[in-house]
Amino acid sequence: MGEVIVVTSGKGGVGKTTTTANVGTGLAMLDKKVVLIDTDIGLRNLDVVMGLENRIVYNLVDVIEGTCRIRNALIKDKRYPNLYLLPSAQTRDKTSVTPEQMKKLADELRDEFDYILMDCPAGIEQGFKNAIAGADRALVVTTPEVSAVRDADRIIGLLEANEMTQTHLIVNRIRMDMVRRGDMMSSEDVCEILAVDLIGVVPDDENIVISTNQGEPLVGSESLAGRAYMNICKRIVGEEVPFMDLEEKAGFFEKLFGKRKRS
Amino acid sequence: MNNSVMIKGNKYGIIVVLSPDVPFEELKQLVAEKFRESSKFFDNAKMAISFEGRKLTNEHQQEILDIIAENTEMHIVCVMENDPATEETFKKTVEQKLMELSNNTGQFYKGILRSGASLSFETSVIIIGDVNHGASVVSKGNIIVLGALKGNAFAGASGNTNAFVVALDMSPTQIRIADMIARAPDKPVKEEVKEAKIAFLEGENIYIEPLNKSILNDIRL
Repeated sequence: MGEVIVVTSGKGGVGKTTTTANVGTGLAMLDKKVVLIDTDIGLRNLDVVMGLENRIVYNLVDVIEGTCRIRNALIKDKRYPNLYLLPSAQTRDKTSVTPEQMKKLADELRDEFDYILMDCPAGIEQGFKNAIAGADRALVVTTPEVSAVRDADRIIGLLEANEMTQTHLIVNRIRMDMVRRGDMMSSEDVCEILAVDLIGVVPDDENIVISTNQGEPLVGSESLAGRAYMNICKRIVGEEVPFMDLEEKAGFFEKLFGKRKRS
Repeated sequence: MNNSVMIKGNKYGIIVVLSPDVPFEELKQLVAEKFRESSKFFDNAKMAISFEGRKLTNEHQQEILDIIAENTEMHIVCVMENDPATEETFKKTVEQKLMELSNNTGQFYKGILRSGASLSFETSVIIIGDVNHGASVVSKGNIIVLGALKGNAFAGASGNTNAFVVALDMSPTQIRIADMIARAPDKPVKEEVKEAKIAFLEGENIYIEPLNKSILNDIRL
């Protein structure tokens, strides 16, 4: 029986889609059968980040409306054969589907897949309600910024009100140099405010920008962010992985080198 | 037409306006006449009644009620006082009692109040958990937060100026006590040690001070 996980945040631009792409790909690398569902109807992105935009024929709304079967709409990933994407519709809006329909869809996919990942749109309206409807677990993504943390708090409250039993926190785009100077909240600070379990801390990494632009998730690569995402995946499947030290020697040398080059 | 006795009414009650200038014995006659005339109209109605225009002693009031009972089929359910002084005393007593109740009794709430959550209580409340930014607690009594108070707290919501707010980590966005509002300073003060604090109203100001024995001694419930 598969697990339905919703990736949500409240605030836009904190890295929901990037997280969905990387966690989904990472789970596939761990030999799980995974389907990613883009629930952001009208503003679809996940296909771009996964590099599968050119393969879209049918979409989520087509499946819901019965225009095609689920099987026809699922796009097989170009790297991992056990990873699929159900893209969102671009020419429709959030009201095209209802939470009940999403729940039914997720339940149908449970038999075949180990993990069903829902990429939730920003906001707390219909799109959010659709995305969380069938979920067993929520990954709340936030950046260490006051506004993002406020929205995450609201989202966690709404998830609790919807009887979500497992809510885990991902602190994204943290910059250890700023944390050290006291200019940015640490993941501990964020955790203390939100009072939910931390499942991962992802450092701010320019490789992420490169990878999302190229449509190649960087999970599993040697970059700090790639390793951080892989650790999240391992924690999702139940492995105990210690939180890694985000201030590594390699980073330190790079910084030194970088500074010398600039001066 | 004699206007010494007038009846005004609605579905639920009547107001009997009595002239203050007519001797009481004569007035009784007039009341009897008036109600006899309109007895059909009142029929079996259940009404509240109040008197206006003349100060009635309890005996006189009773006599008039008897007359009404004799002359009509109407049931007087209650007599409404509309003496402002009496009403004020009643109001004060009731409010005082309710206020004491809201101060002296309380309830527990366990859980984190997250952004967007809003809870209100008739009594004092003890919250075991944090009140986050964007959340609010309203109580007619006192508010005690066993955790961090970062959102809004409104104690003494029915006007009790003795109400107070206590929090282990006191960094509220706004605190209201009775009808005074205090807001957080624009530049947050970095505290070295977090300690339990109390917010209370004194005169026109809300003060926030560390909890200590002398402050606790000053608390009036």
